[in-house]
Amino acid sequence: MWKAVKDREAGVLLPSSFASRIRSHRVASFDLSNHKEIVSPHNGAINSLQVDLTEARYLLSGASDGSAAVYDIQHATDYERGLIAKHRSLFVVDKQHSHGHRYAISTVIWYPVDTGLFITGSFDHYIKVWDTNTTQVVMDFKMPGKVYRTAMSSIATTHMLIAAGSTDVQVRLCDIASGAFTHTLSGHRDGVMSLEWSTSSEWILVTGGCDGAIRFWDIRRAGCFRILDQSRSQLGRRPPLAESTSKKGSVTGQSSSVKTAVSQRRIPLGNETKQLRTLRKSQILTRGPVVQRLHPGLSSSHNRATAHYGAVTGLRATGDGMYLLSSGSDSRLRLWDIDSGCNTLVNYEAMRLQPTKALQLAVTQDSSLVFVPCMATVKAYDVWSGMTCRTFRGHYELVNCCCFSSQYQELYSGSNDRQILVWSPPNPIIAEMEDGRGGLVSVADQDNWSD
Amino acid sequence: MPLGGVIIIGEETIVYCSAAAFKAIPIRPSIIRAYGRVDADGSRYLLSDNAGLLHLLVITHERERVTGLKIEHLGETSVASTISYLDNAVVYVGSSYGDSQLIKLNLQPDAKGSYVEVLERYVNLGPIVDFCVVDLERQGQGQVVTCSGAYKDGSLRIVRNGIGINEQASVELQGIKGLWSLRSSTNDQYDTFLVVSFISETRILAMNMDDELEETEIEGFYAQAQTLFCYNAMHDQLVQVTANSVRLVSSTSRELLDQWNAPSGFSVNVATANASQVLLATGGGHLVYIEIGNDKLVETKHIQLDYEISCLDINPIGKNSHYSSLAAVGMWTDISVRIFSLPSLELLTKENLGGEIIPRSVLLCTFEGVSYLLCALGDGHLFNFLLNTSTGELSNRKKVSLGTQPITLRTFSSKDTTHVFAASDRPTVIYSSNKKLLYSNVNLKEVSHICPFNSAAFPDSLAIAKEGELSIGAIDDIQKLHIRTIPLGEHARRICHQEQSRTFAICSLKNCQTSTEEAEMHFVRLLDDQSFEFISTYPLDTYEYGCSIISCSFSDDNNVYYCVGTAYVLPEENEPSKGRILVFVVEDGKLQLIAEKETKGAVYSLNAFNGKMLAAINQKIQLYKWMLRDDGSRELQSECGHHGHILALYVQTRGDFIIVGDLMKSISLLLYKHEEGAIEELARDYNANWMTAVEILDDDIYLGAENNFNLFTVRKNSDAATDEERGRLEVVGEYHLGEFVNRFRHGSLVMRLPDSEAGHIPTVIFGTVNGVIGVVASLPHDQYVFLEKLQSNLVKVLKGVGGFSHEQWRSFNNEKKTVDCRNFLDGDLIESFLDLSRSRMDEISKAMGVSVEELCKRVEELTRLH
Repeated sequence: MWKAVKDREAGVLLPSSFASRIRSHRVASFDLSNHKEIVSPHNGAINSLQVDLTEARYLLSGASDGSAAVYDIQHATDYERGLIAKHRSLFVVDKQHSHGHRYAISTVIWYPVDTGLFITGSFDHYIKVWDTNTTQVVMDFKMPGKVYRTAMSSIATTHMLIAAGSTDVQVRLCDIASGAFTHTLSGHRDGVMSLEWSTSSEWILVTGGCDGAIRFWDIRRAGCFRILDQSRSQLGRRPPLAESTSKKGSVTGQSSSVKTAVSQRRIPLGNETKQLRTLRKSQILTRGPVVQRLHPGLSSSHNRATAHYGAVTGLRATGDGMYLLSSGSDSRLRLWDIDSGCNTLVNYEAMRLQPTKALQLAVTQDSSLVFVPCMATVKAYDVWSGMTCRTFRGHYELVNCCCFSSQYQELYSGSNDRQILVWSPPNPIIAEMEDGRGGLVSVADQDNWSD
Repeated sequence: MPLGGVIIIGEETIVYCSAAAFKAIPIRPSIIRAYGRVDADGSRYLLSDNAGLLHLLVITHERERVTGLKIEHLGETSVASTISYLDNAVVYVGSSYGDSQLIKLNLQPDAKGSYVEVLERYVNLGPIVDFCVVDLERQGQGQVVTCSGAYKDGSLRIVRNGIGINEQASVELQGIKGLWSLRSSTNDQYDTFLVVSFISETRILAMNMDDELEETEIEGFYAQAQTLFCYNAMHDQLVQVTANSVRLVSSTSRELLDQWNAPSGFSVNVATANASQVLLATGGGHLVYIEIGNDKLVETKHIQLDYEISCLDINPIGKNSHYSSLAAVGMWTDISVRIFSLPSLELLTKENLGGEIIPRSVLLCTFEGVSYLLCALGDGHLFNFLLNTSTGELSNRKKVSLGTQPITLRTFSSKDTTHVFAASDRPTVIYSSNKKLLYSNVNLKEVSHICPFNSAAFPDSLAIAKEGELSIGAIDDIQKLHIRTIPLGEHARRICHQEQSRTFAICSLKNCQTSTEEAEMHFVRLLDDQSFEFISTYPLDTYEYGCSIISCSFSDDNNVYYCVGTAYVLPEENEPSKGRILVFVVEDGKLQLIAEKETKGAVYSLNAFNGKMLAAINQKIQLYKWMLRDDGSRELQSECGHHGHILALYVQTRGDFIIVGDLMKSISLLLYKHEEGAIEELARDYNANWMTAVEILDDDIYLGAENNFNLFTVRKNSDAATDEERGRLEVVGEYHLGEFVNRFRHGSLVMRLPDSEAGHIPTVIFGTVNGVIGVVASLPHDQYVFLEKLQSNLVKVLKGVGGFSHEQWRSFNNEKKTVDCRNFLDGDLIESFLDLSRSRMDEISKAMGVSVEELCKRVEELTRLH
């Protein structure tokens, strides 16, 4: 690191590459943290975790016992042996609370603008908006079914909408400003387990349903404008040039079946592109003459397209808003090119995913790694190659969620074993001290045993 | 390239390959850093490697068919970042690690076998990895010594504000009242005589054959009285004015030719002359104008003014360099300057200066074709006016403060340009750049008189009368900043100065190219602070880097030590796990290792802290005591530490407070508790700023620079209501600098005048990777409010290059957020007010509701901060 610092100082290493080099190096050295522990107050499985988006200082957790808690992950409450930082919850809201959820909390999110509010969604059909400072409910929304997932756009400047997916087929948008539902998005044929706002446009919402479909919605317009189809694919990170070159007939290399599939479906897609310039500018150029103004949601063949066999359990968009990762109950992770709507066919190595629960995936800032809860472990995959980089073993039971703090490169994971584990680069000072003390501790242990 | 194909440059081979041909040649192992195409058809390229060696790559071809490659060594230049072939074998070598150069490639090699001839060098201070602010001449003015350049172009640069005079000869002489140089004939190139006037005598010094100054005589001069003025007149004559007479002397025979005597009862008080005119004033306000003819003096005009005359000038500023049609006169009693026409002595203009301080020196002069009247007062203030040479009208009055004592003005020329020297307790050179008058101070303490003295032995020099001393010195180039380069041939990384031993110590690394591989050697070197020569060297171990250096002393020990923090950077290790703290003392100009302490990581920073030493070692802040062992030797002993940082890179201290700039966790504030002997964290900034430098501005405000070229300030919230708020450093200022700051240091490049308002404004100097040196000044609140208003008005009037918005550019901007600049002002922008045309100034003045004069004054005050 001194070398990198020295090169940055002399102008040999650009500051931006310095930062990304150190970040990726830190992520590569992740392990169960030797200097930070979160003391979980929950008596049930941890279903959802989120670090606040402003300072990356407060971690919010929601658990099956209906409780939600907030931790200060930058400032420890106390130190064990003066070394290991213990982060106890700043407060817990649970069933005892006069407005607490009656059943399991399935989702917790921070209000993206500041840490003054947070939102919880529960199997008791309620979504509640809490004031962090007073820990009182300031607003609640009654959903038609058990709430699986809620999401707010981190880049929104003009709306304050909570998108909520539940056992009901409709996705609802709850407006904090008015306290009412502003939108009801219909299209899915089953409950909606996962939701993600686009990271490049504040109007675009992506939903993944138990029917295996991933739908894109522009909340300014009626209907869904795209459904991802696992059979529509492209090889590599960029969509094939076929779209523009196929007309000239001078194509080399690529398999022609893929291409024809692409060009056949182009017509309805081009239609929406026109409506939605924000997302898909590139295709406007290649759009052919279109007569019918049909929503693909209405065209029956397209409507049945699925992204996964079985339910879509998790969604995560990359930071640049270009790609979407989805996990399904078919134990698959798929990477989608949002621009073309194609499956990129990245083959993520064998994994087993929980089939029945909504999962929370996490992506590093530079979109190089994705963290996926795989049964009792968290696996880190290279986003572009699909290779398994690391497998984090530490939880005793199924892991439900993970959350990556890109500011300080730490990973938090929550599991059915009621623990929240911190994964971070090791702190050599403590590692060394523990080595030094190891002898002493073992001696002490022996004494205990002899009793 | 028109030939087609690609050239692949490796470390050991160069390959040309195209569809038709594949050619490869081996080269001496080197890393090529830059290339430049010579011919449009791409058959020749210039290549430069990281040792600054320039090669020519020739692709031999027959028409389109490439037949071979040839590489030829041309010579050595700066380590190039870019190479541009201009024309006619002239090449521009742009370097970010040394001075950029304009070179010519000769057809024939010189004696050393080099084809490269350096035509011009363009100074580049970057990358400034460290610097220190010192006052080597102990005059109250700081100089910056930077560690600049990299690789073989590493150097120390001494950056000084103002103009230096390099003293070449001096002689002890008490009580000098005046100083003039004379030539032995009108057409002589050099000055021969130096006339030194005392209270009751005049002595004449001349250069003898051995280039020594010795006393001589000019028979025609009256040596038993103080000379008021003397000058080379036309027709090989000399003029001397004393209290009683004006004497015209032949410069060849040195005999008296003519004499004008003052009327009885009156004595001459002040006098001035040029080649053909003499103007003098006697008591009672009499002004006498005398023209110098061939062998005679003619009193042409005589008038009487209302008050006594304090100073005069008839420096010719018109087309005729021997004759002036204007005379400037400064008056007692009504404190005014008047412009008279010559020879009629008609009053053209009268300008009241106001106040009670009389004008002590006036001067008519021309800079860059613009005529000015300068008028210096007895209290160190200077007025300048634009002068209309035909009507004598004065306009555009401006007042500046140069010192506290009476000023004497004198013109001199350097490099064929005329400048004005204002001699006083703060000697200043007045010059003009872009038709704007600039004031540069001179590295002399107190000067009573000066005159230009251009002799064969001391060309283009000045004779300077100081307290009890007459000296002759050459003057530097007239420019605002003066930069001296001390080439080291190795890369200096850390520098510090030790006042007591008058030395600098640096940590440096040298790239040594052995036949097989490249090796780096690391040193701690000791330099004399005057000659900048290496006087002692301590080599570090293999793989051991010097990371930090300070000069400090410990409690219970009178010695001053150099402490060096190092890191063992092993190739297989990502993060150094071992380092050392070395304690040296300077003895007889040698570095003596007194103690060493092994550490568990790289020592990124060292600070003297309450008679102890505070080190930042990887994640940890560690405090060391200086302990006396039983055998009388000393050692560093660890006292307490604080961990919890990702990498504690930058540390500053003030009292018991410690400021840590973390690799990525912004700034945190720690406190050392004496009773408990422990370091505790008080507060932190919870933004994720990747720090590059920190500094403490005052007890509560800390300044930081971060990885995305921004500056920000945070404030300690010690009187906040809740623990939460007290534990948080509040961000108060944010600003996009656009430069990567490596170091902040307290200090200033300018002399601080005790009476000026600017003297109380604390400043911090910073140095950046691109070689920029800048100043951050903490302005008082009312001045900030005023200047902020001015800035916002200026932004409306001034359009940025390409129409880019200033506000957008200065917005704090990192990966996470972009927020408007707060509590920072752009000094460059504000100072550009002075370059505006009058109509635009008026526009701003109207918008501000403040007069243009007041605005100019406030902005000029600001310019004196740097």
